[in-house]
Amino acid sequence: MIPMENFLLLSAVLFAIGFYGVLARRSAILILISVELMLAGVAINFVTFATYLDSQAFSGAIFALFVITVAAAEVGLALGIVLRIFRERQTANVDEVDTLKW
Amino acid sequence: MRDILGHSLNFQYELLLPEIIIAITATLVVGADAFRNELRLGRRILPWLSVIGLVAALVVSLLWIDTQRNFARLITIDNYTTFFRVLFTATAIVVIVGSHEYVERHIGHIGEFYALILLSTVGAIYMAAARDLLTAYVAIEVLSFSLYVAVSLARNDPRSGEAALKYTLLGGVASAMLLYGLSLLYGVAGSTQYTEISGALAAGTGGMTLPLILGLVLIVAGLGFKASAVPFHMYTPDAYEGAPLPITAYISATSKAAVLALFLRWFSGPLLPALPDWQWMVALIAVLTMGLGNLVALQQRNIKRLLAYSSIGQVGYMLMAITTVSVVSASALLLHIGGYLVTNLAVFMAVIAFYNRTGTEEISGFRGLAQTNPYLALVITAGMFSLGGMPLLAGFLTKFILFTAAADGGFLWLATFAVIMSTVSLYYYLQVIKQMYLYQPDGDARRWRLSPTGYLTTAVLLAGTVVLGVYATPLYTLADRATRVLFV
Amino acid sequence: MGMEQVWLLPAIPAGIFVVIALFSRILPRGGDWLAILGLITVTVLGVLVLIDFQGSFTGGHFDAHGNNVFAFDWIRVADDFFAIEFSTFVDAIAVTMIVVVSIVALMVMVYSVGYMHGEARYGWYFALLSFFTAAMLTLVVSGNMILLYLAWEGVGLASYLLIGFYWERRTAAEAAKKAFITTRIGDVGLLIGIILLWRATGSFDIQTIIEAARAGAIGETYLTVSMILLFAGAAGKSAQFPLHVWLPDAMEGPTPVSALIHAATMVVAGVYLVARFSPVYAEVLIARDVVLYIGLLTALMAATMGLVESDIKRVLAYSTVSQLGFMFVALGVGSVTAAMFHLFTHAFFKSLLFLGSGSVIHATEQQTVEQLGGLRRKLPLTATTFTIGSLALAGVPIFAGFFSKDEILLETLKGAPLAAYVALAFTAALTALYTTRLVVLTFFGEPRNRHAHEHAHEAPTSMAGPLVLLAALATVAGFVALDGVGKALGFAGGFGELVFLEEGHHFKLDPAVAFGATAASLVAIALGWAYWSGAAERAARARRWAPELHALLVNRYYLDNLYQAAIDRVVLGLARVVAWFDKRIINETGVDGGAQTIGYFGLRLKFLQTGRIPNYALAMAVGLAAIALLAFGTQ
Repeated sequence: MIPMENFLLLSAVLFAIGFYGVLARRSAILILISVELMLAGVAINFVTFATYLDSQAFSGAIFALFVITVAAAEVGLALGIVLRIFRERQTANVDEVDTLKW
Repeated sequence: MRDILGHSLNFQYELLLPEIIIAITATLVVGADAFRNELRLGRRILPWLSVIGLVAALVVSLLWIDTQRNFARLITIDNYTTFFRVLFTATAIVVIVGSHEYVERHIGHIGEFYALILLSTVGAIYMAAARDLLTAYVAIEVLSFSLYVAVSLARNDPRSGEAALKYTLLGGVASAMLLYGLSLLYGVAGSTQYTEISGALAAGTGGMTLPLILGLVLIVAGLGFKASAVPFHMYTPDAYEGAPLPITAYISATSKAAVLALFLRWFSGPLLPALPDWQWMVALIAVLTMGLGNLVALQQRNIKRLLAYSSIGQVGYMLMAITTVSVVSASALLLHIGGYLVTNLAVFMAVIAFYNRTGTEEISGFRGLAQTNPYLALVITAGMFSLGGMPLLAGFLTKFILFTAAADGGFLWLATFAVIMSTVSLYYYLQVIKQMYLYQPDGDARRWRLSPTGYLTTAVLLAGTVVLGVYATPLYTLADRATRVLFV
Repeated sequence: MGMEQVWLLPAIPAGIFVVIALFSRILPRGGDWLAILGLITVTVLGVLVLIDFQGSFTGGHFDAHGNNVFAFDWIRVADDFFAIEFSTFVDAIAVTMIVVVSIVALMVMVYSVGYMHGEARYGWYFALLSFFTAAMLTLVVSGNMILLYLAWEGVGLASYLLIGFYWERRTAAEAAKKAFITTRIGDVGLLIGIILLWRATGSFDIQTIIEAARAGAIGETYLTVSMILLFAGAAGKSAQFPLHVWLPDAMEGPTPVSALIHAATMVVAGVYLVARFSPVYAEVLIARDVVLYIGLLTALMAATMGLVESDIKRVLAYSTVSQLGFMFVALGVGSVTAAMFHLFTHAFFKSLLFLGSGSVIHATEQQTVEQLGGLRRKLPLTATTFTIGSLALAGVPIFAGFFSKDEILLETLKGAPLAAYVALAFTAALTALYTTRLVVLTFFGEPRNRHAHEHAHEAPTSMAGPLVLLAALATVAGFVALDGVGKALGFAGGFGELVFLEEGHHFKLDPAVAFGATAASLVAIALGWAYWSGAAERAARARRWAPELHALLVNRYYLDNLYQAAIDRVVLGLARVVAWFDKRIINETGVDGGAQTIGYFGLRLKFLQTGRIPNYALAMAVGLAAIALLAFGTQ
């Protein structure tokens, strides 16, 4: 059996890459995808723990299902908002969306 | 019915009746809006419908005073839940009644506006009522998603979309952080049930200290974002400024209170055994939040941004009660939340009425308001003084008890800092009051009146601010009864 | 309605204050009827409280008897973590005060309908009177020090607002300020006293404090200091030397206000406070002696000043100060009975005198006695009732003042050195003398101002009614000292068996004291009559008789000048130093510097808010990393 730590490492790496993406990317769409990467890491974490530690009740697996569903909803919602921004300003570059500050 | 581990599950759907009523009302509101022309409905029907639904939910929720039951081990119905059910439905009622004129003029999708307020109220209530991490998470997202959309609803205002984009993207990051923390907590405790987490943590975590601490850091950070705690607060001023005014009011009231309710439920329950590991983290962000919120507020020119920073400062005070978590500070926190909601809404409702007339959000626009509308100036003054903690108003008494509880809980330095910051805050509140009383109005100096609903909401909230400042014992008693169910 | 519901008494006028203050513009007649209706209700309820009190009164100490206390938590956090309780407490002293306050307030309000007719701010005037009544009744029934202090400041505020009711007049505004500041000096003492007592006993409850003090739980010196500080508050409110200077100036307020606040009710709050704590004063005799000698000095000084004053209202003000001195003398010799009895009778005849002087002023628009005279034919009713009040004040037998003053003299003879008794008896004679002067110059002789005299007209019914009623009370109120009268009213006996410290006693006239005092009064009246009646020029001879003494008295012993000089030299000099320090060091360096520093930080921090999402996310990441590093660093 593959050790649990391997999966945990995978999820941590996914989470970190996602977070890095949020910091490094300038396109709203790419930031959104990075957030999805972070959430994927979370889902893997939940499934891992559910499988290795809580095999009886698998509530972690259910949690992962919810995470995926909610993430999908979030993508839909965020894309709608990005679309509005794009219509208003002809750009999805977050550096140019900075009229609100200070 | 039993779950897989043999716990008996209780599926009494009537326990969820208030939220079911609110959700159905939300559906009706959207439907009525969509078919308004076909059904020949007036515009006013939507707020009326919403208010009727909310009042019904409020009344129904009073049925479970002093009961202690749960729905399928997911949602608790106890005094704590009832306290926040009443608080959140009442807040939604006030916001809807006080803002319908604003909504007609400045909101693009009226049906969605009311429906989102209703749905986010459901999310806020379940944040206080959850007894399972999964329920809590879904509740957080119901509230957050509703607000992401609601922020973007302002018509013809590009700031609105920008605010929504920032709020949504950063909110997604915060959710991911929170969830990662929760997954680690689940890994350490082996369950998502509050009661079992608390048992597992109390029994010792064995070799799992590292994941637990990392999980706590992530949870504090994720919740900190939702509560606008520094340094996770950055989106707050922008979201407040870009959002339509009633939504700003609603976020500063319900959203903040709901996060604090969740904070208290978690940190006095499942996470209480890990107190030494998280106490200093919360103290740290409390200090940063109080300090930065109040300092930056000094430099604001826009009333919405001013109130955003002011609410950040207020969250700092509330986090202090989480730090010193105890029976006394928990009741003090609920009392303070109640007083803060009343006061803050009084200010916001007055600002909405002001905006309806003048269309300006600049603080300098308040010049001479004492001459053109002395009543409104009085409401804003009382609200600002109360937020600043002047005696005989709600803010003084609730803050006094909150600070005393913190000092008594062994955090005298934190309470001292809070007092200093409270004094600083008076300075920027006075800036607004100065504009109203010491300057002549720019331009139009005619007297004007509020709409009847404007008078109604501001008068009720003003009275609440004064009454709570003079005699807060009834609310304190309720808060005390609500927090008796914690710490068990 | 019993003693437990006594909180209703202040609650009713408080509610009416709010209603009139908010809606006086839309209420018919500015809402005066509402205020009067409220006070009628209060008076009726007061009688019900009295009846309930009779039923449960068993004598003994000012005992709570358990059943008359109404208490509620103003704030109580986690049981005893932090709690302040408000409570009401009714005993014989409180009942006496309730009767006095409700009757006099009602009379004054009815009188005001005529007196204040046509004034600007008519509704506001009645709102303030209601507010005052509410605060005064709260003070009277309060069972704990916090509520008492709040009410104490409340009556002070009402007094301030009413003295300055004609604030357009500079003297009125000045007088209001003077009254407020002077009494505040005493109030600081009171507040410190309250805090000291709280520190020693851990309680704000008056009965708890008294019991602790009697049980010897507080050190003697500590207790002495505390009780003297309480008396400082009482001296400020009750205009005792050296804080008496505000009361004559307070006559700038409307005359009915002077009758209510500055004669019958608020100024006796100090007497009431000391009387309530009399069991404690009995334990610390030094503090009690302070009360005695301050009272005696004030009584004598004020009486002499009343002798030369020419403003009719100010004469009465000095007389009030002097009579309050009598009450403190009684408390100083340990006789609560005498003090409260004199308070009771004095309230009626002094408010009568004030209302009578108001009637004179209303009729002639003059208030210096040099401009009056011969008014008895023009104002027969006012003259008659005023004379009755004066006889009561002078201590002429059968009138109310005779009984109570006799009681004080008797107790002084028993409980104080003979010199004190002689001084007090002399003061009583002086009282008769200045009273006679006032009556003679106002109502007898020839009119000195023809114009004012010709336009004078008798008061309207609303003013005459209270005059007649109060004149009746000033005549008969003293009889409650008699056992028969007390029993007929449903009490165990006379006043002495209702209000007492250790044990009740029957009222008994000491022939020597009574005869001596009466004779002295009558001689003084005869002297005064002979001296001041007749031509106007004769009255002026007083000045020539002993010019230095006259100047001393007219200038009020130069006390006001002394205070002014002290304020100018010492206080203002000191203030200049403090102001410099405040301006340069505190304000410019400390506050402005602090504000600038804080503002600077705010300004710098503000620019962290760049408006860009990656920067915001970076802040979150840095925060997260910092907390995580701290967490693992400390592991």
